[in-house]
Amino acid sequence: MKQETKLKGKDLINVGIYAAIYCVVVMLAAMLGYIPIMLPLLVVICPLIGSIPMMLFMTKVKKFGMVTLMGTIIGLFLWITGMGYWPFIFGVVCGFAADLLDKSGNYQSAAKTVIGNGILHLTIFANMIPLYIDREGYFSTRQEFGQEYITSLTNIMQPWTAPVLLIASVACGMIGALIGQKLLKKHFAKAGIV
Amino acid sequence: MKAGLLQASIKNRGLILDPRTKFLLMLTMSIFVLGGAGGKTAGRWMPVFCAIPAIALLSAKKFKRAAGYLLLYCLADASVFFISGRVHGFIYFLIMGICGILLRFLPCLMMGAYLVSTTTVSEFTAAMLRMHISEKIIIPLSVMFRFFPTVLDEFKSINTAMKMRGIRFGGVGIAKMIEYRIVPLMTCCVKIGEELSAAALTRGLGGDVKRTNICKIGFHVQDHIVIALCLVPYVLPAVQFFGLAV
Repeated sequence: MKQETKLKGKDLINVGIYAAIYCVVVMLAAMLGYIPIMLPLLVVICPLIGSIPMMLFMTKVKKFGMVTLMGTIIGLFLWITGMGYWPFIFGVVCGFAADLLDKSGNYQSAAKTVIGNGILHLTIFANMIPLYIDREGYFSTRQEFGQEYITSLTNIMQPWTAPVLLIASVACGMIGALIGQKLLKKHFAKAGIV
Repeated sequence: MKAGLLQASIKNRGLILDPRTKFLLMLTMSIFVLGGAGGKTAGRWMPVFCAIPAIALLSAKKFKRAAGYLLLYCLADASVFFISGRVHGFIYFLIMGICGILLRFLPCLMMGAYLVSTTTVSEFTAAMLRMHISEKIIIPLSVMFRFFPTVLDEFKSINTAMKMRGIRFGGVGIAKMIEYRIVPLMTCCVKIGEELSAAALTRGLGGDVKRTNICKIGFHVQDHIVIALCLVPYVLPAVQFFGLAV
């Protein structure tokens, strides 16, 4: 049987539905971020929990483009809810990269899905980029607060924490994907949803 | 049904802005307030942009949220101002870190709350269509916004049921607590989603023909004012640059 490759209305609606589930789950987890010191920890929590709906979404993906769209939609959602434009850029690029990887496994390979999910969750890390990028430019507008303010903020958001958070987001994306696949086997296969 | 966090209500909107104006405002704020671009010249205008979400929320009659935002923002700003040079050591770093993050993220988050809570799905779709964005992005996005209130509603019910059974924080452990909430949430949302997608397909979503939209959107006086304001931080550094060059 020849596989259809063009995205149809049903696929697009599926992307929307799973994106909604994903965003709600991540948003509920992100409520912890209201305590600002917890903010960097979100890079760990969000991929861990968000991967569970993502794995269910991956069982519906059969065509190229759906994962790219998913990344784009999540990025757009993060942008219009006020996390800056970096998640959008990352969402498109990482979604496309994850899509290519998943396609090479024909959307069946479990290992490739896990790695792809890790890549996709770089989008969550992108939320933190404004805290690192253009530090000089940002602090030059805040001179009136004094040198101590600048050094203290620089101390909390040390540049070396950026790669740590980046790796953490990918690693947690992969761990979350493994948990998600386990849950799929435990619950959803029995219920006949997968 | 009670108006949820991500559900737009058509009543009580007050100042009606075109969705495209809201997008522009959001973009400008995410570049200059969150991104801190533009340096000192644009930086002087930042308090104006930080005030916009408060005014917008007030006009939409979201008094509680507007008051909370203003209070938190002023508190953070004031504490940065008063504490600098008086307190030292670790507590200073802690307070400064919290305030610094709040001052940068809060205005954009509030703008996002305003955008999402005052734009209906059809306005949103109409604006995206006018901007010539591909249907492949419009359809999932509009489905997502249509679906948010449902997911939140389901989550609330599941949360209540689980609380009643004693599955909560500290009771059975955090892993079980999350599993027992997410799994039922996903199961019922997938079922509802399948029905929703069947209903949407019957009404011609994702068909080959171009869909029409009866929602009226357009630019009015208030839009022109906001757009003019948005252009300021882009133009100002350029003007200064050329002024210096000449």
